[in-house]
Amino acid sequence: MPPALQNPITLWLLLSAALAGLVYAFMRAELRTRAMLFGSILIACGIATWPPYDRNGVPGKIHLGLDLRGGIHLVLQVVVEDALNATVNDAVATARDQATRKGIQIGPAQRVSPTSFTVEGTEPARVKDMRELLRDFFRGGWEVRESGEGRFTVEMSDLYQRQLKDQTVQEVIRTIERRVNALGVAEPLIAAQGSRGDQILVQLPGVADADQAKRMIKTTAQLSLKLVETTAATRETLLAGTGGREPENMEVVSGPGDTPGEPVYYLLRREALITGRDLKNARVGVDENNRPQINFSLNATAADKFSRETGRNINRQLAIVLDGTVYSAPVIQSKLGADNRITGRFTTQEADELSKILKAGALPASLRYLQELTVGASLGRDSIRDGVRASLAAMAFITIFMLFYYRLSGVNAIIALAANLLIVLAILAHLEANLTLPGIAGMILTVGVGVDTNVLVFERIREELRNGKTVRAAIQNGFDRVWITILDTHATALIAAAFLYNFGTGPIRGFAVTLFWGLAANVIASYFVSQFLFEWVLGKRHVESLSI
Amino acid sequence: MEIIKNPHIDFLGKAKYFVALSVLLIAAGVFWIVSGHLLYGVEFSGGTQLVLQFQAAPDVDRIRDAVAKVSPGAVIQSYGDPRTNKVLVRISQEAPETDLDAPARAVRQALADSYSQNPVTESSSEIVGPLVGAELRQKAVLLTGLGLLFQLVYIAWRFKGGVWGAGAAIAAFHDVLVCLAFLAFFRFEITLNVIAALLTLVGYSVNDTIVIFDRARENLLHRRKDSMAKLLNDSLNQTLTRTIISNGTTFLAVLGLFLFGGEVLRGFGFTMVVGIVVGTYSTLFIAVPLVNWWSLRQAPSAKPARAA
Repeated sequence: MPPALQNPITLWLLLSAALAGLVYAFMRAELRTRAMLFGSILIACGIATWPPYDRNGVPGKIHLGLDLRGGIHLVLQVVVEDALNATVNDAVATARDQATRKGIQIGPAQRVSPTSFTVEGTEPARVKDMRELLRDFFRGGWEVRESGEGRFTVEMSDLYQRQLKDQTVQEVIRTIERRVNALGVAEPLIAAQGSRGDQILVQLPGVADADQAKRMIKTTAQLSLKLVETTAATRETLLAGTGGREPENMEVVSGPGDTPGEPVYYLLRREALITGRDLKNARVGVDENNRPQINFSLNATAADKFSRETGRNINRQLAIVLDGTVYSAPVIQSKLGADNRITGRFTTQEADELSKILKAGALPASLRYLQELTVGASLGRDSIRDGVRASLAAMAFITIFMLFYYRLSGVNAIIALAANLLIVLAILAHLEANLTLPGIAGMILTVGVGVDTNVLVFERIREELRNGKTVRAAIQNGFDRVWITILDTHATALIAAAFLYNFGTGPIRGFAVTLFWGLAANVIASYFVSQFLFEWVLGKRHVESLSI
Repeated sequence: MEIIKNPHIDFLGKAKYFVALSVLLIAAGVFWIVSGHLLYGVEFSGGTQLVLQFQAAPDVDRIRDAVAKVSPGAVIQSYGDPRTNKVLVRISQEAPETDLDAPARAVRQALADSYSQNPVTESSSEIVGPLVGAELRQKAVLLTGLGLLFQLVYIAWRFKGGVWGAGAAIAAFHDVLVCLAFLAFFRFEITLNVIAALLTLVGYSVNDTIVIFDRARENLLHRRKDSMAKLLNDSLNQTLTRTIISNGTTFLAVLGLFLFGGEVLRGFGFTMVVGIVVGTYSTLFIAVPLVNWWSLRQAPSAKPARAA
């Protein structure tokens, strides 16, 4: 094809112009407008649809759904409470810090629900100062209540909660997008769904290794580097000195030790020197013993802080914590700079995946799986074959029946049906909607409804002929009388299809889309195009009988 | 060529027998469903469903032995065309939400360990957590109900009489119940595709009813002197050929879907095949008699004022 014709609009204009020439040369004046209208619509549909499937390296215009081409469909739920908890924990730390800074003595300050925390035992003399402090720091988005005896409750406002939830879900979506891009999936779909807005739909067409994809998506990847206070073989020995409870600014985290099956417990400073947010880059590398490791570099601010803190803590252990496990805890030998590494017992693939995940960023909340659908590619091909076979059987039968029963008028009906299907395919291609197996079933039903429209008209024409009307009047009356019926039947069926569309994503939505546009296209094809064909064929001459 | 020349069948006169038949059928169906015979697909019940493709013809008994070790009570059956070496494994045990695919992985591992001479070449899986199933079931009932309600309102508006809308909606509801009864009798699972078929059916059944109502509306304009019963019965007869041809062709099209559409669409095809027959039946023997019965009770309100 010459390059100029590659542009679909140029091609459409050229073909339409050619059609216009033919129409003006051969067609009666009163038919020309409609001929041009229908003709150019169908030409546009043809161009929009061609080529329908991948052909000579040109990607097909009809997008196949997951059930036909294979791939993964996941529904995940964002555990929004995680993000709420983290925010409230930060707030507790702020309140405590500020109180210390102002020299206000307070008792325990702690989170009491995912959205609130309490401060108790404020020294009576400073209750007023504490109140002002809390009001000042938790002005926007929080409500401060006082219940006497130096006790304060600080709670997130509903609006702030909602904002935080939305932000969290959006951030999860962006993070998953970055991770999926690292996997190199073509045409992924990642979107929020569900009435509560905390569900995320992930569709990865054509992905073969489902397990890898799922790991990449689900790993939270909360990285933090924390100073180690002591280590021990059990949690109990570690906490023996503090009465079995974690000190306020410390936490216990375990990690694999040198001998498999014997974990090591670390008492860590709660405050992290570095978190995943401070990472500029991460990639896989090898250590001195040729084992895989993850190299990462820090952004400028974090590098400064890291260099200062490591300089101050030489000869202490620094734990590298990823999703609640200590991967390694090397001793700080010297002041460290921007480029660092994580060693551990990784396989090359694990190191590769982890570095990609770290680079894409951490999830602000953990995820729960609600639903998972994977379809193997060859099973998809079987479905296509079955679907096509069923459609062909249906079309062949309908074609034979219409020709046999309505004779030449049957040809009219079949042209209308072909136009109907072409319009639906073009709309699917244009909307980039997925053709699913139920979508193919929707096509077959569209054909059924299309036949019904023709049958309604043809039977009415026969009836008018029996009542002694002339051929021309019978056709006129047939189409006129049936119009209201067609309007009502299509409107109710469209209502049903619209409800189906809202039912969910995936295959059913494919069905609803096909059915909806099939019904709409049907009005154009089986009514208007069919009417036009009758008028065109009958011409101006006097007609005694109709082949119907 | 014509199928029936000038039919004069007394549909309304025979309606009472068919209404009795429908009531019996629905009562039996409801009893059967309430006593727990309606099977839910994995989307609704939660659990795991795997379709495994083996390299060679699979030995179902050996697979059963291997799977029973990790997941007792799993259902194992051959899937689709036997030549494609596919086996379906259904585990009803609920998967934990933190590790949804654990049961599926365990089954694959067990097969790799104890049936290694015939490896799985490809697999598809559908895993549904417990939360989703219940939510979907509610949604299915809600959407079917709302779909019917909106269609009822539309018809009532277009025909200027609630009885027409109610007639069509009750007939469509009847179809859904009868289809559910058949699905339970023939042990088909309720899957998402089946729900799609049921919703489509609601549209199709109403569609079919409207064609006849529309004819009645047209006749009402010309023949104000005739009784409602005669008028409705004539409308049924006038549109009978269309009813047979349209529904007949659609029936055969969905029959093709049922027979050749493959395993995935079998439930969908079955529901449509039953639905089209029942939808046609309910138009003739439920929807139109309902309108007639109502108009006998309070004649003036049943007549639409004018064709819209």
